[in-house]
Amino acid sequence: MTAVVIPVRVRRFRGGPPIGLSVAGIVVAAFFALPLAYLLWHNIGVGRDLVDVLRAENFLDPLRRTLTLAVIVSFGATALGTALAWLLTRTDLPGRWFWRIVVPLPLVMPSFVGAFALVAAFTRGGLVDSLFGIEQLPRIEGLWAASLVLTLLTYPYVYLPVSARLESLPRSLEESARALGRSPREVFRTVVLPQCTGAMWAGTLLVFLYCLAEFGAVQILHYDTLTRAIYSSKLYDRDVALSLSLILAVTALAVVFVERRHARRRVQTEAIAPTARIVQNNLGAWRYPALGFVVLIVGFALAVPIAVLAQWTARGIFGTAELTARDVVRPAITTAGLGLGTAFVAVAVVLPIAFLTVRYRSTSGEVANGVIVSGFALPGIVIAIAIVFFVVRLPNYEELSRSIGLLVFAYVVHFGSQSLRAGQVAVGGVPRRVEDAARSLGVGRVRRLVTVQLPLMRAGLLAGAGLVLLSTMKELPATLILAPIGTETLATEIWTSQSEGFFAEAGLASLVLIALSGVLTWLLTIRPSRARS
Amino acid sequence: MLRHISVPLLVGAVALAPLAGCGSGGGDELVIYSGRNQELVGSLLDDFSEETGISIAVRYGDSGDLAVLIDTEGDESPADVFLSQSPGAIGFLDGEDRLVELPADVLDQVPAHFRASDGDWVGLSGRVRVIVYNADEIDESEVPNSVFDLTAPEYEGRVGLAPSNGSFQDFVTIMRSMRGDDETLEWLTAMRENGVRTYENNIAIREAVARGEIDFGLVNHYYNEQAKAEDPDTPTENHFLDGDDPGAAILTTAVGVLDTAGGQAENAERLAEFLLTREAQEYFATETFEYPLAAGVDPPSDLPALDSPASPEIDFSALGGGLQRTRELIRDSGLESA
Repeated sequence: MTAVVIPVRVRRFRGGPPIGLSVAGIVVAAFFALPLAYLLWHNIGVGRDLVDVLRAENFLDPLRRTLTLAVIVSFGATALGTALAWLLTRTDLPGRWFWRIVVPLPLVMPSFVGAFALVAAFTRGGLVDSLFGIEQLPRIEGLWAASLVLTLLTYPYVYLPVSARLESLPRSLEESARALGRSPREVFRTVVLPQCTGAMWAGTLLVFLYCLAEFGAVQILHYDTLTRAIYSSKLYDRDVALSLSLILAVTALAVVFVERRHARRRVQTEAIAPTARIVQNNLGAWRYPALGFVVLIVGFALAVPIAVLAQWTARGIFGTAELTARDVVRPAITTAGLGLGTAFVAVAVVLPIAFLTVRYRSTSGEVANGVIVSGFALPGIVIAIAIVFFVVRLPNYEELSRSIGLLVFAYVVHFGSQSLRAGQVAVGGVPRRVEDAARSLGVGRVRRLVTVQLPLMRAGLLAGAGLVLLSTMKELPATLILAPIGTETLATEIWTSQSEGFFAEAGLASLVLIALSGVLTWLLTIRPSRARS
Repeated sequence: MLRHISVPLLVGAVALAPLAGCGSGGGDELVIYSGRNQELVGSLLDDFSEETGISIAVRYGDSGDLAVLIDTEGDESPADVFLSQSPGAIGFLDGEDRLVELPADVLDQVPAHFRASDGDWVGLSGRVRVIVYNADEIDESEVPNSVFDLTAPEYEGRVGLAPSNGSFQDFVTIMRSMRGDDETLEWLTAMRENGVRTYENNIAIREAVARGEIDFGLVNHYYNEQAKAEDPDTPTENHFLDGDDPGAAILTTAVGVLDTAGGQAENAERLAEFLLTREAQEYFATETFEYPLAAGVDPPSDLPALDSPASPEIDFSALGGGLQRTRELIRDSGLESA
């Protein structure tokens, strides 16, 4: 294929979407709507008066803190993720292949492990203190600490879609700009950045929603947000937990609404399949400062937590803990299977919605989009309980509770927003011209999808799969509630050990989780793009 | 091109296949929902299965989450028996009327104040509330003998507690039943005003004490025992309070048979019986560092005898229903956002 590019708006069909597509979209959305339906039913139908509950909880202050944190982290993660994506796809940074594997990995660190390890490293008497004797360390707590830690844990939400976009973006534009004498920085600002806005916003939104539902890290870092009241009421007091969850969902819907209005006006450039040649910017004198930057980020986000985890594990090995590799092998296999399976289901089921929202001005598509995206802003335990609430009414509940179906379903409802946003970016990147050409040659719809659209969307869809994979692998609350009895994942192993103070085992399971994620990310998102180029 | 698509698709399809059959099958096993951790009770439950020939299936999770799961599952719950890490979670199920009364010979094995007044659950082992302190920096004589002393100026900014944690909430409920709501709220507020540091759970508090971040922490005695087992050099020590102080409360782990047990009810009762045998009680004393509550088994050697800190006599079954009020008091004291 050639790399001819003509920037135009993505055209939408004038008429409505095909009936089959609409029906598929509505069916998918109905499943995703279960948690919202549960929240509405409880808050409006059976609970104490919603207004009374919310007034007693004094929810406005925590909500304000939640939003402040979400906005700061969204900006931070977007800047960081985009910068890393550009450095690793468009420059001659040394050791790119290695950085591409490790840069997405902070996403797989369960936040309670990541934050706990960072605090353990940097607090007085912690790892850094004992290694270097630096006692004058600032307290790691409050807004700045939570912002910093969450930025380091969430930038992959931006990095993965943006680097996928850059991968599938024709280099010819940049080549022309550079031939016209623009510096790499100007090319980035005037050519690359505008073409990545869609992918950037997709990631930013995910980061924002993640921050709404985040609990582990903010609690460890003493930053009091809305989720604290949800968790500390332990759902015993469902009036409180579910009314506050509804606030989270409504906030998410409002943000999605604004974002979509914005997205509709956005100019998107059509991309044609990439050239085999990779054009790289020569960083020149900036090569080593840039390398230092990447090392610094990966160091804080990954190396420091890994060092702490390794310290725990070592302390156990030389202490009394009984560590056996067998304890982590089976959970590792289960985790990989669940992660990969969920990732592909999540990518497939939201595809109709991605087409409905990007290709057609479909109102039902927009509603479905809002419903799916809001699932990411709800705590996992709320989603799990909501699903049980409905499924228990089916005649074969006991049978269902023994299959992995319910768990995969919950994962997809919780993380479908990630594959959807990536899918929308991917659909937006398929030029209508190519499809028109195929159609004019008499190629049927299904064959067009398989032979024309899917190959062009591959990088974007795989990025979505990668996001879902990493999120699923660390998911804990829904896994504990919905996994068939006897199922052990690495996340449940970590929790089992850490919650009762078995640090050695928690450390080992965490290290295996990180290593496994590295291998799977490489298989899923990096190896394919290398094979192609 | 198609080749590149189908490879990952295949991987995805294949990935889920081996998992499809991994659930346990059939309804002929005793289904245990355990809020007690697998690390703590897994091998004990396996012993039960081996000795009795009753096959078991155990869902491990957080006690509170599992209690809510059982409540949501309603009549359809596969669970037959519930093991709770705390009196609060099992008290919640008792309050929802989801437990059936245990036989008198099971109940009678433990002192009356370690079981439900309606006979719906029975305590198995106890974790005692203590003040954990850093022995490198503090002499034990400096550690107060009552939690009410901690509001004094000399302890300003030196104490840690975990307001959102279940065991702290149970401790506050016990304080309420001993001293009343007003005095409890006063204490909580005074603690906040005295610059108490808040943490997410017992473990984080003990770690902070070990690092020297704070000097004292309000925790369960268990966590220091486990920490010492992994790292004997850690400088933290438990200080046991006077027996009539709420800070010396004993939080029981408990077992209850669910109203959904049906044909498994008898096996569920056998599990409760088994967990109170000498064998099981000795397991709690030696393996989980906890106070045995039955069979006249001695507590772990380095712990004071159960009646020497005369444990406050509390009706634990009041804890479940009172949890909402406890949470309101903690919220109103401003501790959670401290």
